[in-house]
Amino acid sequence: MKSFCSLFKKDLKLLVSGKFFLMSIGFLFLYTLYVNLGYVRIMDAGIYNVYLYDPVGTQKTISPSVHKISTKEEFDGALLNDTNSVGIDVGTGEPELVFYRGAEGMDRHRADYASALMYPSESLHAEVIGCNTPEQKARKEITCELLFFEIAAVGFLGIASVLFKEKGMGVIRVHAVLPIRRNLFLLSKLTVFLLSDLVFAVLLTALNVGLADMAAILPAVLLQTMILSVIMALTGLICALLLKDFRQFTLLYLLITIFAATPVFMAANTTVKPEWIRYHPFYHIYMGLKNAYFGMPVDNLLYYAGCMAAIMALFAGAWYVFHREVEKEG
Amino acid sequence: MIEVKNLTYSYGKDKQALHGLNFTVQDGEIFGFLGPNGAGKSTTQKILTGILKGHGGKVSLLGQDISTAHTQSFFQKIGVLFEYPYLYANLSAVDNLKYFSSFYPKAQLRDVNELLEELEFKRDFLKKPVSSYSKGMRQRVSMARALISNPKLLFLDEPTSGLDPTGAVLFRRIIEQERRKGTTVFLTTHNMLDADLLCDRVAFLSGGNIVALDTPRNLKEQNSSKRIVITYLHQRKREERTLDASELETGIPFLHDEILSIHSQEPTLEDMFIRYTGKGLS
Repeated sequence: MKSFCSLFKKDLKLLVSGKFFLMSIGFLFLYTLYVNLGYVRIMDAGIYNVYLYDPVGTQKTISPSVHKISTKEEFDGALLNDTNSVGIDVGTGEPELVFYRGAEGMDRHRADYASALMYPSESLHAEVIGCNTPEQKARKEITCELLFFEIAAVGFLGIASVLFKEKGMGVIRVHAVLPIRRNLFLLSKLTVFLLSDLVFAVLLTALNVGLADMAAILPAVLLQTMILSVIMALTGLICALLLKDFRQFTLLYLLITIFAATPVFMAANTTVKPEWIRYHPFYHIYMGLKNAYFGMPVDNLLYYAGCMAAIMALFAGAWYVFHREVEKEG
Repeated sequence: MIEVKNLTYSYGKDKQALHGLNFTVQDGEIFGFLGPNGAGKSTTQKILTGILKGHGGKVSLLGQDISTAHTQSFFQKIGVLFEYPYLYANLSAVDNLKYFSSFYPKAQLRDVNELLEELEFKRDFLKKPVSSYSKGMRQRVSMARALISNPKLLFLDEPTSGLDPTGAVLFRRIIEQERRKGTTVFLTTHNMLDADLLCDRVAFLSGGNIVALDTPRNLKEQNSSKRIVITYLHQRKREERTLDASELETGIPFLHDEILSIHSQEPTLEDMFIRYTGKGLS
């Protein structure tokens, strides 16, 4: 325990001397500004307008949200001016949906919404999947994305920079002849970065989701943060020990960003969702974090077993490359 | 203290680094392990310090078989000075030593300030980061790191490397002091002067084999031509003559006015190194 405390204290000092905390605080500040002054306002868009042209009056049970238009010219003019809107043309007797073509998924959503307004509300049995206001939803979504990015990209760089520093100074080799268990060297680093990620997650969530909402979701968010943080820290450790210098690491970092993180963000936030994404481990971790933010923590034991297996395999890998580094010539 | 029997080690299938080394190091002895680059010195030291595993043969240290000896209590008894001064550049000398000493029981530790003073470390730099130190100062802190735990067995790899002549003399004095305290020293070096002045015995390693092992004096005497060069003045003329040592038993056997110098033709340890290993010092 005493050895672990010494290692922990030293790693913390290295972290601070590497300006890592300043960088994290800077990112926290920037993210908070972006969420509160940018993203939430951008996402605060009204619902699509629905215009109905029904000269004969065939539709009897329409919702009050529907704008009735009496002439075809006015109907066309409304759609021309309000390009997000959906038109329902019943001029020929049969209702036809008219709108400007956008993304496939979004168009389907608009069509479903417009059609739903044509039925009496009591005849629809919608499944309630959450009770967030649009602003809460936007805040949770973006906070989840930023946290995932921070841990997967920035934290990953942080641990690598600390380890490259120690590698450059050669002090890793000294630890091989000290009366400590070698795995403590790795465990102390993991603990420092895990704690720093958890603190970051708490602050980011408190500042951007709000204290009231945070209390309910925090345990699940921290659990997912912990999983992601340990996986990324171990990956960072392995890469830093295997690669020669920080330049090589930067190239690998770019590859990871392009091939690992980008498809996950695309699949989770856009309509581009390739079939193979379900085999992408980061997709499941990202969705685990997202579900935690929306109060639906993952309860699939297979997911946790997979995460545990990945952590154990990565730890074994880190252990192996650490020994290799220790055995190297001076 | 150290007993090595038929020690072998291979890096991969085709790269055998050690071909059955045999030697012992007695308690309180300074044992020099000398050899050209790639001879297997570092490999041997790494095996003895527990860094490299998977060797063949039998190695015991401090009375224990090495395969079972690498426990925390084993590492508490050894001190290692690496060839390069591996230190935390962002920490000061004092902080480095406090950090590294925190892994040992307090009772066996030496006082950081006293130790640095003994190593003639400049006091102004005590709290400055290592990144601002010269190579010699870093080497002093590294030596302090190796000595701080009062080790029973000290592994020194090129201890005087990077030191000016005064520093080298100081380090030799410190190593002598350690010997007087009863510390066993395993010295790996290219510096033949260090080996000659410090070591009770030296082993020459070449191509993974020990090609000679004896005291420096014996090695030199065994290979001496026993010839003596005398420089003298005769009738105001400077002359030089080489004789067999036995010819001097009855006095100087030639006419002379004044003897200017007498040099024995005993080989140096460096000559022995070249002779045994077939390679010069790099």
